[in-house]
Amino acid sequence: MPRLEDVLEQGDAARVHQLPREALERLFWKYQGLRKQVERDTAFWQATNETLKTAYERLDEQERELARAYQTIRQDLEIAQQVQHALLPKQFPDMLAQLDLAVHHKQLTEVGGDYYDFFRTRDGHYAIGMFDISGHGVSAALIMAFLKAQFMQTMEQAASPKEIVEWVNQASLGFLREVRRYSTVNFVVFGERAIRYVCGGGYGVLVRGGEIYTFSKGDPFIGLRRRPYTEFELSFDADDLLAMYTDGLVEGKNAAGEDYSSRRLNALIREHAREPVGDILRRCVDDYHQFRRADTDDITLIILRRRAL
Amino acid sequence: MTGEPEPLVHGTLMAGFAQACINLNIVAGPGAAELLADLDVERWYPLSRWFALEQMIGATYQHIDPIRLKLGIEMMSLWYHRGPGHDIIRRGADFLHFQTGSTGIISVIRGPRELVGSFDLREFDAAAGRAVIHSTTPFHRKIESGVLIGGLLAPGDLDYVDVHDDGDPDLLIVEFH
Repeated sequence: MPRLEDVLEQGDAARVHQLPREALERLFWKYQGLRKQVERDTAFWQATNETLKTAYERLDEQERELARAYQTIRQDLEIAQQVQHALLPKQFPDMLAQLDLAVHHKQLTEVGGDYYDFFRTRDGHYAIGMFDISGHGVSAALIMAFLKAQFMQTMEQAASPKEIVEWVNQASLGFLREVRRYSTVNFVVFGERAIRYVCGGGYGVLVRGGEIYTFSKGDPFIGLRRRPYTEFELSFDADDLLAMYTDGLVEGKNAAGEDYSSRRLNALIREHAREPVGDILRRCVDDYHQFRRADTDDITLIILRRRAL
Repeated sequence: MTGEPEPLVHGTLMAGFAQACINLNIVAGPGAAELLADLDVERWYPLSRWFALEQMIGATYQHIDPIRLKLGIEMMSLWYHRGPGHDIIRRGADFLHFQTGSTGIISVIRGPRELVGSFDLREFDAAAGRAVIHSTTPFHRKIESGVLIGGLLAPGDLDYVDVHDDGDPDLLIVEFH
């Protein structure tokens, strides 16, 4: 007589009736055992599926909550962006009478860390400040608003760039250290036939008679330490050209990982220094766009020329 | 504060339960790592830690009994195929004697008798394929049922095993063929 295991192994249904009674009984229990196993497995998977269903429902709800939170954040960022735009300077008509001016300012995200502003000092001279605040986003915008207020206030107290920047640094140091933020500073005051500047971490280049003069930028950033700043003076007559920019431009990288570099930018500015400032600005921005693979930082570039009186 | 000392559960039981949870994907990812973290199979753990493990699973599932049953089965499958079980029992029915004996479930929990309870083989009829176990241990009966099913099926000589109760949850009626 065949063995039950052999009949099952061979799948030969025709031989089932040849099995002894004992084997048929075992077949019965095997069948019952399998039914029980299926019953237990089905109950297990049903319980698991119910839990999965509940988990998916919770996930959906969490996704909706996230979407709502994201929407709120987007709206807040849009408001922060509007506030930041409102804080950027409106050009002074009197200033434009003296200076041809072109500005490129692009933030990497809705709210950026680059900040530039136009001022009038206590003794009536125009001034331009350019700052790169550490970090991005709303925190940088808040620092920008804070710095703007500090500079506005200081204009009534001081006249030279050294005094102004030292005053602001002194007044801001405690706060900026507390919030662990700092800012580069590039502050230029326009005199009758010269500029005076203080530069800590910013970039500046002056083109005069075909010669190029780069800013000495070794002073400390605002908010880092309590140290005196150094003031420099450069002649700046009619038709002389001045460019100020932040590191986002010169540290932009190409596919090979090379920096755009201030050397390349300065050479371009020098080469086209006799063109209208708007044209020079466009050349610089176009050249940068062709070079860099992607923007990785905020970018600010200001080019200006002293008008002939 | 005075009172009975808390019963202790052996690390092998805790680790077996945790590993079964992982094998059945009851917990996964960081939860699985936490479940097994610092579980030492040489140590004894407070019974409350066992209940915490059970509750963690219970909090996840709406219908937990099929999960408990499957966990018990998986624990014994691990014990037999990856642990010492293969050297201890040869036939499925032997498991009933082993588990109700001094080296069975009672060996992995210790403490005051009234808290630890007992796990006794009240009836055993090999020819009829029926046994009755009276359990008063603090473990969940569905897990114990799963442990019995898993232990009886593990050697592979039985075609059918089921455990149910006839109204008294402490009386586990075992059918095996």
